[in-house]
Amino acid sequence: MGPETLISDPTAGFQDVLPDSERADFVQLWLKVRPGLPLEAEVLSPDVFAGLSLDEIRALPVLLGKQKCRLDDFFEIYGEKSRRLVLHGNLARVKRIGQGMTSGEIVIRGNSGMHLGAEMKGGSIRVYGDTADWLGAEMTGGLIRVHGNAGGQVGAAYRGSRKGMRGGTILVDGSAGIEAGMRMRRGLISIQGNVGDFAGLQMCGGTLFLGGKAGIRTGAWMSRGTIVAMEQPRLLPTFLYSCTCKPVFLRLLWKQFQDLNVPVPEWAWNGLVRRYTGDTSELGKGEILVCDPESNNAGPVIPGAGCSEAGLK
Amino acid sequence: MGGKPAATLGEIKNRADLVIFWGANPAECHPRHLTRYSLTPKGLFVPNGRKGRTMVLVDIRRTPSARAADIFLQIRPGKDFEVITALRALVKGRPINPRSLEETGLALEQLQDLAERMKRARFGAIFFGMGLTMTRGKHMNSSAILTLGAELNQFAHFVAMPLRGHGNVTGADAVLTWITSYPFGVDFSRGYPRYNPGEYTAVDLLTRGDVDAVLVLGADPGATMPQPAIDHLGRVPTIVLDPKVSHTSRLARIHITTAPTGISAPGTIYRMDEIPLHLRPALKSPYPTDEQVIGRIRESVEARIFDIRNWTGIEASRQ
Repeated sequence: MGPETLISDPTAGFQDVLPDSERADFVQLWLKVRPGLPLEAEVLSPDVFAGLSLDEIRALPVLLGKQKCRLDDFFEIYGEKSRRLVLHGNLARVKRIGQGMTSGEIVIRGNSGMHLGAEMKGGSIRVYGDTADWLGAEMTGGLIRVHGNAGGQVGAAYRGSRKGMRGGTILVDGSAGIEAGMRMRRGLISIQGNVGDFAGLQMCGGTLFLGGKAGIRTGAWMSRGTIVAMEQPRLLPTFLYSCTCKPVFLRLLWKQFQDLNVPVPEWAWNGLVRRYTGDTSELGKGEILVCDPESNNAGPVIPGAGCSEAGLK
Repeated sequence: MGGKPAATLGEIKNRADLVIFWGANPAECHPRHLTRYSLTPKGLFVPNGRKGRTMVLVDIRRTPSARAADIFLQIRPGKDFEVITALRALVKGRPINPRSLEETGLALEQLQDLAERMKRARFGAIFFGMGLTMTRGKHMNSSAILTLGAELNQFAHFVAMPLRGHGNVTGADAVLTWITSYPFGVDFSRGYPRYNPGEYTAVDLLTRGDVDAVLVLGADPGATMPQPAIDHLGRVPTIVLDPKVSHTSRLARIHITTAPTGISAPGTIYRMDEIPLHLRPALKSPYPTDEQVIGRIRESVEARIFDIRNWTGIEASRQ
């Protein structure tokens, strides 16, 4: 398949992106040819770009289907020798951006393809658009911020792998697909919008924040870990009501959200939650904390109570 | 992640005293299955045949298979995962919330009874069908029932097996597994196999438009796949190998008629329990077999690659 769209002037809007003083510190990549097939570009990573000159960057290998191409077949590139990348254009078919990165920064002004920031260890990624499946899958550190929507399997474990995200932070301003936080072990995922089915599937640690509506089977098979839901999700029969409590942890989470510029509703600072434990078909030490206005109008509460015995409501 | 607790149908015939069908309708869809393998035949350790076995059917409606069953559990549509997860908890003796169980259409007592029967069984077999695998939750529904089957091995010998339709789908899985170690959704674009259902599976690749050519062998995606995937089949060069004109051949650029496998083409097929069986052709066909066509395509592609290499070599020497 030939080039689908050509951006006529690759420098259009260039001035808006960065002030002149900072421009030299960035490598700018403008998508000039929209690939007709998925483009695997794990070379789009600060670790790779750090010591490379412009010519070396242009010659970096990318895979279009099974065909080996050069990076400048698809991108207009400006700048060199930097750990900061700015990507422009609709990169919905460009997979594995920032895979395994350890430091530096990627800014994507457009959509991104699958496996963005998968297995990343450090640094940060910011996306002003939507991302596809496997965002930050099995990451161990770093920060990903998506201003649009994410696909399925955010911070998840790859098929056959026992552990998903093992550290770091993923913040999604929009919605996410199925299996968000699947088998996550540690770290923080925040989804402001709605999530699909199986959020927190087989979680064994970490924190998953759900700001909107959740699909069915939230927290299925979780053994440990915490899901904080701002709306009551539909729960499996293997989740039991434990108590209404005011965990100190939640206020720390809201404080962290404030630092990360994630909005926290005013009433949530009260910090009262209904706590459900499960999944009893697994270890049963996971918890779903429902922090909705109703829980904050609940009756008498033991302040700071941890929850010991799981009982039936 | 429980793995796949498997057995041959012969073992099930000779040993199983508890047979559970989940989201399947063997009486109508696999009419010989009950009488030959799983329910009525007398086996080495089940000398009384039907009387020595208990059959449980779990489905969303009362199908003709329910007449053959000792226990019929009618659950609400799309509640399979919930019921199986609750069963897994009950088998382990853990508490569940009876109020949210009500949504599944079953009472706690019914599930407790089933859990007890499963634990008391000597040899249990779970067969699951498309009612489970093709409803909301899909792969996790299958994962749930396989995990239940695996976990029950703490109490009794248990196996869980998909009750599959169509000719040789098990064969495709089996062969791909012993070649690549993955059963389906395998990508070879980097020269080594990679596995990721949802990314490399045919229906997802077609829906996203991520392929520029399609070879269809022994399948009719034009009849079964969602519309966006079918649309893409029409957009790219599609080649179909089929004994008859299918929905897909109408969309395809090329249709190659082949001999029907098992009738006029010999070969090995895999039964649903992954037992390989050799088939001798009963009739002669004027058409080539799938294998011959693929072999000839491969030969001519290899010749073309050789040509291109030579050609580029000449070009390079000229410069």
